[in-house]
Formats: sequence, C-alpha cells, structure tokens
Amino acid sequence: PETPVQPKEEEPPLHQFIRKILHEDLQKSNEEKILRLMRKLNWDDPEVSAIAIQHLAGGWRVRASARRALARLTAELAIWQEVVAPAVVDTILEEIRVTMEDPHPRYNQRRIATVRYLGELYNYKLLDSRDVFTVLYSFITFGVTNDHSSVSVLDPSDNVFRIRLVCALLETCGAYFNSGSSKKRLDYFLTFFQNYYWFKFSDPIWTKDYQFPIYVKYIYQECLTTLRPKLTLFTSWQQCKDAIDELRQTLYPELGEEEYDNEDQGDDSVND
Amino acid sequence: KDKKSKIHRPLTKIILRRLPPTMTEETFLEQVSPIPEHDYFYFAKPDPTLGNNLFSRAYINFVNVEDIFLFRDKFDGYVFLDEKGGEYVGIVEYAPFQRISKKKKKKDPK
Repeated sequence: PETPVQPKEEEPPLHQFIRKILHEDLQKSNEEKILRLMRKLNWDDPEVSAIAIQHLAGGWRVRASARRALARLTAELAIWQEVVAPAVVDTILEEIRVTMEDPHPRYNQRRIATVRYLGELYNYKLLDSRDVFTVLYSFITFGVTNDHSSVSVLDPSDNVFRIRLVCALLETCGAYFNSGSSKKRLDYFLTFFQNYYWFKFSDPIWTKDYQFPIYVKYIYQECLTTLRPKLTLFTSWQQCKDAIDELRQTLYPELGEEEYDNEDQGDDSVND
Repeated sequence: KDKKSKIHRPLTKIILRRLPPTMTEETFLEQVSPIPEHDYFYFAKPDPTLGNNLFSRAYINFVNVEDIFLFRDKFDGYVFLDEKGGEYVGIVEYAPFQRISKKKKKKDPK
C-alpha cells in the first residue's frame, strides 16, 4: 500500500527513540538495558530495521567514551539479528569510501571517529583482520598516484589526512595484529604505509614557509613505534621503494596473490 | 582465524552504488529483475548526513560467479532514473566486505 510521503520536519517518534537510546543514553553502565530495548524493536519492519542499522553504524555520532559500548551492543545484537553485522559494516565501509571520493574537510572529525568505530567493531569480531587491511590499504592506494608530477584530486598533495586515518584505525585495533597471519599482514602494511608517508612527506609542495604538518609527523611516528617498538623507520622515500621491491622479490612466492590483491584495493571494480 | 580456504574463495558479493536517493527497494527490484540466483540481497537508503553524496545502494551475493560478470556488463554504467527524470549512473563493484547474513534467522526470545 502506498502511503503519502511524510513531511520531513518531524522525525517519526520511533526514529527519535532509537537515536536517543543509542546516541544519547548509551554508556557502559546501561548497555544491557539498551540492548534489551533494541532487541525488542520490530525487526521485521524494513523501515525500523533500516533506521536501526543506520544508527548502529553511526559510531561517529556518539561520544568517544560511548563508542566501545555501541560497538559491543552492535556485536551482541548481531547474534540475534543477523542482518545487523553485514549491513552495519557495509554502511561504514561505504561512508569511508564516499568520504574518500569527496574528501571535504567538513567530514574530517567524523572520518576519524568512523574509522575508530570500525576498529572497535573489529575488536568485537564483526569483521576480520582482512577487512581491516582492505580499508587500511584503500587509504594508501585509492586515487594515489605515487608520482609527484601527477596530482590526484582524490588525494591532493597537501592533504595528509589519510595518514591520520590510518593511524586512528591502527591505534584502535592494531595492537591485536600481533600473531599469525594478521601480524604478518601488519608488517607488510607498515612497509607500504611508510612508503605512502614518504610519498606525501617528500612532495615538492612543502617548502620552508609551507611545511609538512609537524603534528601529523608525530602522530605517524608514535603510531609506528607503539605498534612495533623495535622497527627501524625508513628515512627516505627511496628506502621505502627499495624495501617494497625486496618484499616483492623475496616474499612473493610465499604470499601468493594476496599482496597484489591488497595493492589493488584502490580499484575495486569488477574488471576480469 | 583466517583460514587458507577463505583466502582463495572467489568474491561473490557485489555492491551497486550511486543509485537514485529516492529509489525504493521495490523500484530497484522492478528495474533489475530478474536478478540471477543469489542468496543475499540488501538495499540501503542513502545516509542523509552525507551532504551532497546521497545515493542508494544495493548488495547482492551471487551463487554463480559467472552471473557477476553478466550483471556487471548490464548494470555497471547503467543509467537509473529517479521519478523526476534525474539520471544516476550505477557502478558495480565487488563489495569490500564479503560477509553475508545467513538466511536462517534465530528467533529472538527477547
């Protein structure tokens, strides 16, 4: 049955309710209670389910102190409503993608909060380490030219925000990449990440009067030394390039096509 | 956690992006039907907080890998119209997150 489109001004009460309990009320202490309320929603109603998913994916809307509680609640809810896990993660990944396609500074704060939230969702096992690395590699490859003479609108020379996004995500969940395949993946990624950092850092756009932002340099260094205290950081772009060549030559047979997959994350189109 | 078999499993879940923001699941299904054999379908309305980047999107997990290419050939670059005649060029990509929900739903005792 067709219902007339509702006037936009007033949000339906149930939407307001979901927004309020998830984004205003939720904290560690009342999580059980709010989880019970969320479970009681009529999930068979597609509109209710869509709104709930949108708000569960809205990790950037909550206070930083409530972010983990929202992630845990989402993970627990996903046990009962199986649509929740893929739909929430897909929504967040789409937001990350859209804000790379439109890297307007108005989204910056939100982007940081969103990737931290994604990291928390990984900590509650809503996604695999592979998925986290897909996002990490997308930050350092999507629209990235790796060539200072060819400037990308998606990754402008003086936009260093993606370095902060990588660090924010690694800060949230990188500590768990400490064994097995995820440890290996992080080691490889850190080589490629350093390469991206040096690509940005050595861009000729930076001059004495217009310097590479020092706080980004600190965030980058702290992120890497926290994750891998014994790692010797590369000190030039050339060193990174050499390291990547070496990695390809010595480890490629063992890696199979995996590393190439990761390398190609920027181009996700169904090509062949 | 990540098993070998998982690494080599082909990608089967696609996303169709940049659909008209006012599109509904019903109108989408009308336009793309019949969708080849699939075990997951999810249609998402745009996120109203994303400013001028308002698009609907759809996720489909295909049962047969070959169907992905036929679907891509047909709908990657396909022009979808909204009810006012606005044109939206759809993009078909592999979904970055390949996990889907199982069909069978546990009943929540609540």
